[in-house]
Amino acid sequence: MTTKRVPVAANLFAETPEGPRLLGSKCTTCGTPYFPKSPVCHNPDCRESNVVEATFGPRGTLWSCAMQDYPPPAPARYDEPYVPYAMGVVDLTEGLRVLGRLSTDDPKSVQVGTSVELVLDTLCHDKDGNEVITWKFRPV
Amino acid sequence: MRDVAVIGLGMHPWGKFADKSVTRLCRDAVEAALKDAGVAWREIQAVAAASSRFSGGRGWGLNGNDVVEEMGSTGIPVYNLSAGCAAGGNAFNIGYTLVASGMHDMVLVVGGEKMPKGFIQTSGVQEETDPEYLRQLCVGMPGPAFWAVMCRRRMAEYGTTEEQLAKIAVKAHKNSVHNPYARFRKEFTLEEVLGSPLVSYPLRLYEICPVSDGAAATIICSADEARKRTAKPVWIAASTVATARFDDGIPRGLASAVPPDGKAYHSEAAAAVRGAFEKAGIGPDGIDLVELQDNTVYYELSFPEEWGLCKPGEAESLLERGETLPTGRLPINPSGGFLSFGEATTAQGLFQVCELGWQLRGEAGGRQVPNAKVGLAQTLGLGGNGTAVILKR
Repeated sequence: MTTKRVPVAANLFAETPEGPRLLGSKCTTCGTPYFPKSPVCHNPDCRESNVVEATFGPRGTLWSCAMQDYPPPAPARYDEPYVPYAMGVVDLTEGLRVLGRLSTDDPKSVQVGTSVELVLDTLCHDKDGNEVITWKFRPV
Repeated sequence: MRDVAVIGLGMHPWGKFADKSVTRLCRDAVEAALKDAGVAWREIQAVAAASSRFSGGRGWGLNGNDVVEEMGSTGIPVYNLSAGCAAGGNAFNIGYTLVASGMHDMVLVVGGEKMPKGFIQTSGVQEETDPEYLRQLCVGMPGPAFWAVMCRRRMAEYGTTEEQLAKIAVKAHKNSVHNPYARFRKEFTLEEVLGSPLVSYPLRLYEICPVSDGAAATIICSADEARKRTAKPVWIAASTVATARFDDGIPRGLASAVPPDGKAYHSEAAAAVRGAFEKAGIGPDGIDLVELQDNTVYYELSFPEEWGLCKPGEAESLLERGETLPTGRLPINPSGGFLSFGEATTAQGLFQVCELGWQLRGEAGGRQVPNAKVGLAQTLGLGGNGTAVILKR
């Protein structure tokens, strides 16, 4: 049996010819970025909603981070036995502030302000042994 | 707008009450508030109630209707207000408005909650169009992890230490010993707090609030009614409600736009509190005590600064100098706060009003803020809801 890589949710990220990217949208009038995609602009100061598809990543700065020291409640997913993971808030160069797990073997040592890059990495495995993929940020 | 007084305060103690319905918890709180006010149930002209997602309300958030039936249906108007964890503060604002506008003279505001076990699941929706759902599914970032991220940012900006975070929990429990309504009435040492399990580094189990059952009620009325019934009414100097700003930098779902200054703050809480200062004509310097929403010790450092009660980066030194104790310059959560009560989500805004009321009447016993004249209370709820109340005597 061969295992597959399956995304944890549809239409949020993709491996593009340029590398991994988040799939969102952006208002061409006011520049506001949206992730996930928003069909309309929600900026109250924007004079005309004009939203087009946009991709975000891979470069950003870690705004802050924390550990998930206990197994999170559903719908969060993880492999047994549970291993605590790090997650953070990342300011991408495109002006998007986005949440994501950190991809690192040493989560406690990651510092606020670190440069990070977007990766598509294993979240957990499903019952058929397939790798469930999500976006993460790797310190560079 | 007319002057509005708070003349009745009533609470059911916070805890876990498996054998008691949320409506019974509310009844106990309402009866205590009516007795405190010297008002009969028949005299209540309208009810503003916090709507619960977790208990009572027949699945429609009709918690006010439950309370009215429990007390005896008199045909009065009932308003059920939903604002996540800010629902108690939201209901208080509607009750205040009903009296201030002249529509009613005697109003009950009530909130009760029985919480399910474990950490609160923020979203009630399980579908991929809901950003909260996606956040848990794709990242796995429950409430405490969100607080931890905010806290870690502060540690990086201001050098806040784990010991300082723990000291806030020690202070909260020191106050709780004197509060008969608190669920956890036990002092903890710094070592015990620092020795409690990490929930989401840098936050530990004793540095975040658990969930509880509880209920609180207030009777509010016009100045004429207040003077008839009490020699020392407590006045509502301001009651405000606000929602979040688009540009506050808080990633509420999966993402937000990076604001120009790169910061993040709870704009709904700041707008409610600053709006209350303005409406009351009382600035941060005029506040004698604060009851703020300490879901986590972090908020006790960030909120006072975001509201102008102290300078940015000053909160840790106020704590270290004991200025946030009931005897200090800026007493914060003399009740023991959410850390000592646990969060009975929709009742919290009203437990805060009760505490302010007791403090201003000088009835707070061992946790009394000496000569307290003006108190501020604040809540924060899902959906970007914020509320504030300023009471004065």
